[in-house]
Amino acid sequence: MSDKANYRVSLVKTRNPDGEGIKDAVFEAIDLCDFKWDSKAKKVVIKPNLCYYWDSSTGETTDKRVVAAVIDFVRERISPDCEISIVETDASAMKIKYAYRMLGYEDLAEEKHITLVNGSKEDIMEKEACVNGKSCRLRFPTSLFNSDLIINVPKLKVGPFASGKALHITCALKNLYGCIAVPKKVVYHSNIDEVIVAVNKMVKPHLTLVDGIVAKGKHPCKLNLIMAGTNGVCVDYVASQIMGYNPFNVSHLRLAIKEGVTNFNGVKVVGEKLEEFRKEFPKVNNFMFKWSWKLQFSLLNLYAKITGDTIPPAVE
Amino acid sequence: MRRLLRLGVLGLGKMGVLHLRNSRHLPNARVISVADASKRALKRARKFGIKETYLDYRDLLERSDVDAVIITLPNFLHKESIFATAETGRHIFVEKPLALSSKDCRDIRLKVESCGVHLMVGHNYRFFECVQKVKKLYDEGVVGDVEIATLELVLNGPFAPSVRPVPVSEWYFDKEKLGMGCLDSGVHLIDLFQWFFGAPSVLFASLGYRFNLPYEDSVVAVLQSKTHKTRGVINVGWFSKMIFPRFDFRIILHGTNGFISTDHFVPQNLYLHAMKEASKNLVRRLLGGRLHPLTYTYYYASYYEEIRHFCKAIEEDRKPEVGAKDAETIANTIEQIYRIAQVQANHLKE
Repeated sequence: MSDKANYRVSLVKTRNPDGEGIKDAVFEAIDLCDFKWDSKAKKVVIKPNLCYYWDSSTGETTDKRVVAAVIDFVRERISPDCEISIVETDASAMKIKYAYRMLGYEDLAEEKHITLVNGSKEDIMEKEACVNGKSCRLRFPTSLFNSDLIINVPKLKVGPFASGKALHITCALKNLYGCIAVPKKVVYHSNIDEVIVAVNKMVKPHLTLVDGIVAKGKHPCKLNLIMAGTNGVCVDYVASQIMGYNPFNVSHLRLAIKEGVTNFNGVKVVGEKLEEFRKEFPKVNNFMFKWSWKLQFSLLNLYAKITGDTIPPAVE
Repeated sequence: MRRLLRLGVLGLGKMGVLHLRNSRHLPNARVISVADASKRALKRARKFGIKETYLDYRDLLERSDVDAVIITLPNFLHKESIFATAETGRHIFVEKPLALSSKDCRDIRLKVESCGVHLMVGHNYRFFECVQKVKKLYDEGVVGDVEIATLELVLNGPFAPSVRPVPVSEWYFDKEKLGMGCLDSGVHLIDLFQWFFGAPSVLFASLGYRFNLPYEDSVVAVLQSKTHKTRGVINVGWFSKMIFPRFDFRIILHGTNGFISTDHFVPQNLYLHAMKEASKNLVRRLLGGRLHPLTYTYYYASYYEEIRHFCKAIEEDRKPEVGAKDAETIANTIEQIYRIAQVQANHLKE
């Protein structure tokens, strides 16, 4: 890591994830990452990763206990009177009103007196950014820009992007893609890297707190990790190394650095050692994933075309 | 030359499209008309060569020249569509569950009997190759008397994602319309239990609500056959991120002479199995033979087999397997499960 590193990313291992451990780890991680907040902040938006109806134990969605700890941090350290909202949008195959219910966020909202926002249904505003010399116009829920503080709470995972045509890390930068109000985000899949970077030029979280309690690579894995940083690019730089990728080979991260989403000058990792988590993370073979997926579909379609056999609904 | 059986499909959701596609391979039947409230779905059906399409299934029943219909409408529309179909004298294949209550099942049974039409409920698990092998061994007495059986089916229910992302239909979140939670899948296990051991009574039941839905997402129940001594543990859930081609289903029979499991007859390597079965079909095609649809998936093939069975039964004018009476027994068992689970939950609270 560079000596001139201008951002810190903290790594904290949760010792007792079933008890108070998550809260302690979240507080410690935030304290370590040099997060400076505006004590006058009144409106706080939290953006978790609720991409589908999967339980957080699958490594796919943000654990509500992590979000609960973030809410506690805001109330205890910033102001007990903050108006806190969780903002997430509908996706191509998921309706957020049901994900909030199924993943326990409705109960959380009642318990912590916060608001759940369906970003696809509330007031929308359009923003524009330039990526790779091309203009990109996207629609966002207004509440994102009416807040004093945005906290991004992504999951640490590797997932297929763009209908399974490619494999990417999903952490700080990709999670903000979920801020796009349009439910059918599948339309952006053909140029997803540019869209992720465009979103990150428009939406600027003040803090990123990563849920790595259960991370997902080749399979889910209890990493019991909480990461925090004030710069999404730097968080993804460290996250990609934990997941076994060279950060400069992660296309959207490389593009974000090239496009100047942040003044990137290396990262200082504080807290636990990165290597400990890298050893535990179940790495995915990118090449194998991409080719096995493509090969399976090509063979299936060819077979169905020749024989006239039926393709099951799940893979149609 | 024998006349082809003319079929109509009511409802073109996932199951409707699957049956429509499979029907192209039936030796004695063809789908000639379809009905769905969505114009887009009808447009898709026309691409399959279906000329008669209707936005209202009643129009299909009135105008189309079909001999039998396949009903794949949402659960809450089963009863009314079966009544309407039976009154026109058409035979019926309906997706499970037959209806939302045992009373509705009974009404349907009386209706189809009075109209003199055949009805089959889509319990495709009876047509799994691995299930049929276990049933055969059980019937032959290979495991002796079965004292304990375990029947398991854990999947993601309506929340299964597909390659083409489409939101889960709203009615799946509405208990009134769905009629039940994961027991919507559990009906298969209850059906298999009664197929093997006769009608059951419920000894114990416990329901889980991990996902805060208005219905259960996991069930553990203990059944006892009314005619045998066999007790069966039913484990069913809609909580698992089970993605195709993985499939968490099994039956284990523990008998006085050993045990057998469907796992013994499931391909260990699904990809290798797919290649093998696809190769066989390619050869069949090259030699001008008839295709064995979906055998490469091993479990989707059962959907073809059940429709083939239905069409054959109609052609021979005999009762198909899994009729309204069986479905009524299943619905009774489900109602018992809910009752007993409630009593036990109350008991635990005390």
